[in-house]
Amino acid sequence: MKVLIIEDEPILRANMQEYLQRQGYICEYAADFRQAIEKVSEFDYDCIVADIGLPLGSGLDIVKELKSQESKAGIIIISAKDALEDKLTGLELGADDYLTKPFHLSELNARINAILRRKNFDGNPVINFNEITIKPASKTVLINNRSLTLTGKEYQLLLYFIANQHRVVTKSALASHLWGDEYDTAGSYDFIYTHIKNLRKKMLEAGGEDYINTVYGTGYRFG
Amino acid sequence: MKLLTKTTLYFLLIMLPVFGAGAFYLYNRFNKEIAHETDEELLNDQMQWVRYLDTTYVNNPVFSISTPEFNIHPTSAPVQSKPKFKNVKIYQEPEDDYAPFRQLTQVIRINNQNYELVLRKSKIEKADLVDNIIHVMLFAFGGLLIFVLISNWFISKRIWKPFYKSLTNIQQLQLNKLTKVNFEQTNTYEFNQLNATLSSMTSRIHQDYLNMKELTEDAAHEMQTPLAIAQGKLELLLQDESLTAEQQNSILLSYDELQRLSRLNHNLLLLAKIENRQYPVAQHLALKPVIEKYLLLFEELIKEKELQINSWLDPESHWPLHPALADLLISNLLGNAIKYNYPEGTIEITLTSTTLQIVNTSQLGAIPSDQLFQRFKKQQHTYSNSNGLGLAIVKKMADAYHLQLDYKYEDGKHHFRVVVAV
Repeated sequence: MKVLIIEDEPILRANMQEYLQRQGYICEYAADFRQAIEKVSEFDYDCIVADIGLPLGSGLDIVKELKSQESKAGIIIISAKDALEDKLTGLELGADDYLTKPFHLSELNARINAILRRKNFDGNPVINFNEITIKPASKTVLINNRSLTLTGKEYQLLLYFIANQHRVVTKSALASHLWGDEYDTAGSYDFIYTHIKNLRKKMLEAGGEDYINTVYGTGYRFG
Repeated sequence: MKLLTKTTLYFLLIMLPVFGAGAFYLYNRFNKEIAHETDEELLNDQMQWVRYLDTTYVNNPVFSISTPEFNIHPTSAPVQSKPKFKNVKIYQEPEDDYAPFRQLTQVIRINNQNYELVLRKSKIEKADLVDNIIHVMLFAFGGLLIFVLISNWFISKRIWKPFYKSLTNIQQLQLNKLTKVNFEQTNTYEFNQLNATLSSMTSRIHQDYLNMKELTEDAAHEMQTPLAIAQGKLELLLQDESLTAEQQNSILLSYDELQRLSRLNHNLLLLAKIENRQYPVAQHLALKPVIEKYLLLFEELIKEKELQINSWLDPESHWPLHPALADLLISNLLGNAIKYNYPEGTIEITLTSTTLQIVNTSQLGAIPSDQLFQRFKKQQHTYSNSNGLGLAIVKKMADAYHLQLDYKYEDGKHHFRVVVAV
């Protein structure tokens, strides 16, 4: 899977590249608008992560360019300005998703994953992780070909874990993925634990292995 | 009072005494003039009579004549050199009424005999004349007054028209749509100056507004990028498997604090944006679905605390709020009602077309209302993930969008009420 990261801030770009490469993506980057346009015209990418505020142009124009090329790449736009207009314009132009800085790298990864899943496995989308099989179209989970009944939150949790397999995922990242950022107006992340406990129990009962490792109260690592 | 009413009233106030005084003066002049005229006529008659009597009655007859107009009879009174004038009323048989007369009296000497000569002239006709003149005068004055008032009204209306136009123009201004206000060129120097001033003022305000907006957004950009970098680095660092538990914990703490900082930054910017009214009210928004959305979002928290929710939500409640603000309003108020509640507490939500009330039990006592909506005024013993901005944001939103926000503490419950100001 080839991902193009268009971001002018070198360290931020390096962060994203490092995380995504560890998850098995081939990452290329462009540091400004002109480079970005050159790259998207020359090469095909599966997913493009574009910052809106770029030197020499706007990330939104890159979205336009991609759409005019009838590119099949998934597009995620990233903005530091939490401006509603940017988000709406971006999605209207044909971007698939929108992230506001700062974001969890695990969240970016999960979003890229979801987009690629939607785009690439047109006919038969199936996610495999050892004995676990997920069919996103029907939202069913099989362990050793035995179907598993999960709640909506548990299902989302499992997808997120598999997307970020072998990585430490923090509780706050999980909470904002499952409930959105508004959630912290209401309270704590404590009961994420309940969902994880239930998920783990169901998977063990179905004969699966225990892949969810608790990392010293920091968060969790799957696999 | 409207400008037009005011000028008309002033005109009336000035014109009425002037016209009144003018009428009074003219009336007096006429009266005097006419009386003087009568006196002259009487004097003329008297001279004619004296001359006539002097020449005619040489044979000393003593005569005495009495008619309403002419009266002469002998008298012993001494001769008067000057005639006396006075107004009298004489009984008129045909009309059975007294009529006004001007009377001349003089004792004269004819053939060594003293006579008192009395001449009279009826004033009725003269009075009629005065009456007529007065009528005509009043009519003319009244007409003039009305004419002046009407023309003043029309002129004022016409002259002030550009002013009212500019006024409406300004009243309809919206800060975020201020791009170019068109003030028409008028043919009045002052109005052109006014419009020019307004024009430059609005464009200056608009520029300030744009700068402010840009600043808040740039500030967001400038702060969020370093935050994103630091947060990303820590997240990557967390993946290092050689870390000790302690190190991992320290990283996590820093990571969480960074997130708090970013939320704080986000909320401060939100406050600024609300203050700048960057969320225009485009349409009326149904609030019930918003409340239901957040009840669903917070469902697990509610279940965990075993809170009892009672809600009365009118589906026809459409509020003049930007969708983003409606989300903020509900998430903050409902979030607080859950966060500060005790286990097995209650939350009552009432929504009508003009009022939203959220009543909840809480482990917190009454909150001093002067601190309640202030920034960073956190209540003691609250959660560390509160940044003390939630209610300040709600309050700011209420102020900027004409909502009334009340708080009271009653029966051990917090009552938050938002009312749409009519």
